[in-house]
Amino acid sequence: MSARLLFALCLALTWTSVLMQDLCTEGASDGYKVRLSIKTALGDHAYEWNESEMFLFKANLAYAMRRHFNMQTYNVSNIIVCDETPRVSFWFVVANPADTSQLIPGGEVEEAVRKSRNRINNAFLLTDQTLQFLGIAPTLATTVIPNTPPWLIAFIVVICVVSAGILALLVSTFMKKIRKEKGVLEEEKLENVYENGIPRDGPEGKAGSLNGGFMEDERHTQL
Amino acid sequence: MEKDSRPSWDNPMQFVLACVSYAVGLGNVWRFPYLCQMHGGGGFLIPYLIMLVVEGVPLFYMELAIGQKMRLGSIGAWSAISPYLGGVGIASVVTSVYLCVYYNVIIAWAFWYLFHSFQAILPWAECPANANLTGRLEECELSTPTQYFWYRETLNITSSIEEVGGIHKGQALCLLLAWMLVYLCIVRGVQSTGKVVYFTATFPYLVLTIYLIRGITLHGAMNGIKYMFTPKLEELANPMAWINAATQIFYSLGLGFGSLIAFASYNQYHNNFEQQAIIVSLINSGTSIFASIVTFSIYGFKATFNYESCLERVRLLLVNSFDMAEDSISMDNMRHWMAELNSTHPDQFAALYHKLENCSLESELDTAVEGTGLAFIVYSEAIKNMPLSQFWSVLYFFMLLMLGVGSMLGNVTAITTPLRDSKFLSRHFTKEVLNGLVCLLCLLLGLGFTTRSGNYWFAIFNDYACTFSLLLIVLIEIISVCYIYGLRRFEKDIEDMIGHCPNWYWKTVWAGVGPVIIIGLFVFYISSYIMGGTPTYHAWDKDLGRSVPKVYPVSAQVVIVLLLLSSVCCVPLTALYVYCKKKDPKEGVVSCPLTSKEVS
Repeated sequence: MSARLLFALCLALTWTSVLMQDLCTEGASDGYKVRLSIKTALGDHAYEWNESEMFLFKANLAYAMRRHFNMQTYNVSNIIVCDETPRVSFWFVVANPADTSQLIPGGEVEEAVRKSRNRINNAFLLTDQTLQFLGIAPTLATTVIPNTPPWLIAFIVVICVVSAGILALLVSTFMKKIRKEKGVLEEEKLENVYENGIPRDGPEGKAGSLNGGFMEDERHTQL
Repeated sequence: MEKDSRPSWDNPMQFVLACVSYAVGLGNVWRFPYLCQMHGGGGFLIPYLIMLVVEGVPLFYMELAIGQKMRLGSIGAWSAISPYLGGVGIASVVTSVYLCVYYNVIIAWAFWYLFHSFQAILPWAECPANANLTGRLEECELSTPTQYFWYRETLNITSSIEEVGGIHKGQALCLLLAWMLVYLCIVRGVQSTGKVVYFTATFPYLVLTIYLIRGITLHGAMNGIKYMFTPKLEELANPMAWINAATQIFYSLGLGFGSLIAFASYNQYHNNFEQQAIIVSLINSGTSIFASIVTFSIYGFKATFNYESCLERVRLLLVNSFDMAEDSISMDNMRHWMAELNSTHPDQFAALYHKLENCSLESELDTAVEGTGLAFIVYSEAIKNMPLSQFWSVLYFFMLLMLGVGSMLGNVTAITTPLRDSKFLSRHFTKEVLNGLVCLLCLLLGLGFTTRSGNYWFAIFNDYACTFSLLLIVLIEIISVCYIYGLRRFEKDIEDMIGHCPNWYWKTVWAGVGPVIIIGLFVFYISSYIMGGTPTYHAWDKDLGRSVPKVYPVSAQVVIVLLLLSSVCCVPLTALYVYCKKKDPKEGVVSCPLTSKEVS
């Protein structure tokens, strides 16, 4: 009895897998080709592509489908892979968990992949260019546009420095001119003093009426 | 009394550095390497050095002598030589105004790139994403990120010269800053200029040296340097090589603008300018050669990078199309694999054939670029691939800034010195106000170049505003010094200033060889302009992502003719004016109908 049950189970499984393989063909309308360039991306740290990595891929895709539909029904077995090449490229289709003979339409798969693209990339340490889903456009990161463009900040700093320099030079020229004019006025005053040829103020300064010349003579005559 | 109170350089070193700063400009960096590439690499040095010795140094010497002797700006100096020649000085000033107006726009662009270098990722390193984030902007994909940044973000260029577009605000701000910086450097005349030139003359050499070290150590730089130094001597038979060498020496030394006369007019009377003329000319040419070594190492790096990227793309195409393992095809065995795949899968290979690029290092090195294309597109493309690109970018654009500002100091001094010499202007305006007004006027005129079609007008000014008129001005200069002023009188003046007569070599060049060369260049220019047909320009087509040649519209051609003639016709007009004034000294009228007696 158990042997017969086992036999029936094996038959059912092979039959389903054959059926599922029929769903996945090269160029399937609801499927996508995936291409990985592991050696280009990672160089010496490249890992080998084997069954475990394929399992990871299927798991990631199942996760992407769960996330997109917000349903917990997707499993690794729903992701069907075929046509693997030494390039490390293959086709995959996604079967409907409710009815495994039906495929999820390509549009839905595309949206699911786009939503979780970043997570899938990171699981394999690859980028949009090295883990390619042919036919699915990558979602580029939104460029962060700051409120003030950074160049404007540098510009404002430099223009303030230059303006300060110009102002400093103009102000110092102006001050020099005022000082010169004051100096000229002083000179003119002193010139006026000697205008008549007679020193009005004398060596003692602006004191007044003392005639310094005579003072000097007095000193001499004292001797 | 006037001569004693003329401002002067603090020491002769400032004068030499000012001349070096003026002569060593952007042309040394972006025009000479291009000419080298066009005319057979190392072989171009032969006509270049010959022209330097035969034409460059003697003319430079002559201008310095005139300035130092007359101690006036270009208008005053030429009026002193002969009253009828005042127009030569006015033509110099007009040409300098044109030059100032368009040259400072380059400094504005250098500022723009400099400010944009302070970002984590250089904005010209990658294409920006398109509206729905599925890919890159189409215009950028078709061309390259550096070209996109130049044509779209920096210039926001229209598709033809007739579409004016609005003013690009960022450019206008940068132009304002550029003029403020120039004003800061010249505000007090030679006193401020003399201090600034210590920096503007020496800093570019520091940067060029750093870049030389960096450039030579780049991968693939040797390809570029080898390409430059393998002389293709058959190019010397091409007359264009000699003509280009002559014009390059001519414009590189900045003859005819009046800047050299202005700088020399602030010298002490007995300054030994003969030695200084030789030194400055040699430094200028040496800098050109030095800069071209740097440029060619950068070219080599860029060409090798592009060549290897091309090979990588071909490899990827083969590996992807035939689904082979990634590491099966490498750069070395690619040819072998291509032959094998052709034999094993002929149909598939044939289908692929048109997509396979023909990668050639030679063709990458052969793409010769000059002018703003070299400075802003090619160099920034090379810089973005260098490690620590922000630092190199800042350094490079700061150097361009210093080169540009150094030349601008000379250009603006050529305008302000004759204006300061005029008694009327110096009585009513102080030095600072006059310099400020000149800068303001040039800024307002220059705003036209910040419009979206501004780059097309820039190209017009670059090609036509100064080229033709300078040749004529220098020709008149050299003929009037030798034959109107008198070579003997000039000789005596030089002996008076520096203590010995100029030897036979200088005199031969001034009286004979120089005028012959310049007349030759002159004739060549006129004939190539007339026979060249309608002039064309390169307009950026945003749908194709590249430049397409277009014919100038009538309005632009009128502007070209006006530019060519406007400075040149100052000479005969002024001569006529002076002649009329002499005829009617009492009336002092400007216009005078010539009576039949006077005509005969």
